[in-house]
Amino acid sequence: MSERLAVAMRQAEDLILRDYIVSAASQINAGGGSNGFNPTNLGMSDFSLVATTLDTNNAYKFMSGIEGMDRFGTGPVRSAYFMLSSTELQSDFDSLVGSGFLNQWNYPTNASALPSEYGSAFNIRVLTSSEAPVARNAAVNSSGTFNDVYYNTVLGKQAITHINQDGYSMNLIYRDPYYSGMLAQNATLAVKFAQAQAITQDTAIRNLLSTRLSNLGV
Amino acid sequence: MTEYSRMAKGKFTSTGAAQVVNLPFKPDYIEMINYTAAAAMTDDVVPFAWWDANMGQGFAVIERSTGAALISDVVISNGFSTFSAGQLLQFGATQQVVASTKGTTTSFQVTGHGYAVGDVVLFEGLFQSSTTGMPQMNGIPFTVITVTDANNFIVNWNSNNSSYTNLSASPASAKVKKILYPYLYFPGETVISGITTGTTTTIDTASAHNFVVGQEVAFRIPSQWGTVELNTLPNVLTPGAPVYGYVIAVTDFNTFVVNIDSSAYTAFTTAIAVTSVPGLSFPQVVAVGDVNTGGVQISSGSALYPPPYFSPISTTRVNTINGPAIQGAFVNNTSQGFIIGAGSSVGDADAILVGAASDVIYWRAYLHDMSIP
Repeated sequence: MSERLAVAMRQAEDLILRDYIVSAASQINAGGGSNGFNPTNLGMSDFSLVATTLDTNNAYKFMSGIEGMDRFGTGPVRSAYFMLSSTELQSDFDSLVGSGFLNQWNYPTNASALPSEYGSAFNIRVLTSSEAPVARNAAVNSSGTFNDVYYNTVLGKQAITHINQDGYSMNLIYRDPYYSGMLAQNATLAVKFAQAQAITQDTAIRNLLSTRLSNLGV
Repeated sequence: MTEYSRMAKGKFTSTGAAQVVNLPFKPDYIEMINYTAAAAMTDDVVPFAWWDANMGQGFAVIERSTGAALISDVVISNGFSTFSAGQLLQFGATQQVVASTKGTTTSFQVTGHGYAVGDVVLFEGLFQSSTTGMPQMNGIPFTVITVTDANNFIVNWNSNNSSYTNLSASPASAKVKKILYPYLYFPGETVISGITTGTTTTIDTASAHNFVVGQEVAFRIPSQWGTVELNTLPNVLTPGAPVYGYVIAVTDFNTFVVNIDSSAYTAFTTAIAVTSVPGLSFPQVVAVGDVNTGGVQISSGSALYPPPYFSPISTTRVNTINGPAIQGAFVNNTSQGFIIGAGSSVGDADAILVGAASDVIYWRAYLHDMSIP
């Protein structure tokens, strides 16, 4: 129970920051894909465009590159911004392998790869999460076919922060039954936090909106 | 009561319209006393009402007056309902767009749309054919600025050019849905619907901007929309330094003026070809920076600690549940609680749950530890 609540605690933190970014950051609709929706599915040119935008805005990249090594199936990785995407887009990323998308397994070394990192495209390294923002059935094409719209947040190092208020971030609270009730029947397990989110540099963040190319298979 | 149950009570003076009550929980049982109605006991009033979550959203059991006696009745639409405005991207029911009429503002026909002025809606698939229609408006949050009647409403978008064609005969793809909680965090990113250039620059937006005087703003205007000179970057004078504007006047919920001399700038246009829609990004204005006008002002008759507010329509101000804050700073407007609706009873259409304007209403709300089922 306490393990699940600890996960929920951090997910709550993520969801608040996620919704704040969806509300407040500028958007670019993907146009490099071929599915005919607006926005389109992600194409390689979308990665290039959004990285160019952030470069022009003098955003700081999160990661330095990974030099190529003499290992089969690997390739060098550019210095990169992070893009926070949905796990539902992973099959779309796979379809871009061969066009320039490099799966994390094909990095020369995985030493700097994050557990949620799916791969990289040009100057963007892609992290995926099931909690990424998605607007269900928010795009319809001229044939009347629905598609989900994904908010892929691309950000530089100086783009966002969160501020811990009153001197603390999040507390996971446990009070054993003796302290939680007169009859010592129930323990108390709770989370509390006091924090605020802020975009510290609006030029260093973009929501790259996209639809999906492939079926989810569910 | 056991240790995790919640109880709350309160009162308000009815306006005759649905009343939102914010609470730190989502109740599963509500009871209501309309003191004014109980005292008057005139025909059609509803002095008492109850709701249990197992009845379903929008229902209520009531006692209404016939003028001589109280009789029991029910409300089956727009009664009590609960809400949890905690996450974005929640939508109402998808509805079919029957037709549209282009103009300097754009009118849509949607049978029994149920929208009210100030609601925010999202259109999708506004194609008459693969090359005609109004798909340029797809995906933009629009405030409903006029409700013409039960089947027609108007949004702020200039479609009065040859790039747009009216929709007719319920195109299969043309849909609209309401954005349930459009202002959970504000001020946010807002789509620009019009720009008036001059020694100062007037900006119209498709939905509420929620800016205040003194706010610092940035523009993101793709080249198709015209006024690219407003863009924050590139800066032709100081490369790499963002160009921001400051709000010098707020006309209403979707119009404000910035201190940028745009006399020589390219005119703004919404005339975008249908063929350009895939991949089309929208003209946007976003709140930036730390420059704002300080705390919410206290004035004669105002609350001692006025909360930040958002403005969904006209110059209406809706307070959030927060304490005093810096104007123009981002506000977290997440909330939960319940709504006492303006639905009428099944047996008497004149018996309204939330009462008439000036009625004094007392309520109690509960969240129980255990409910079977």
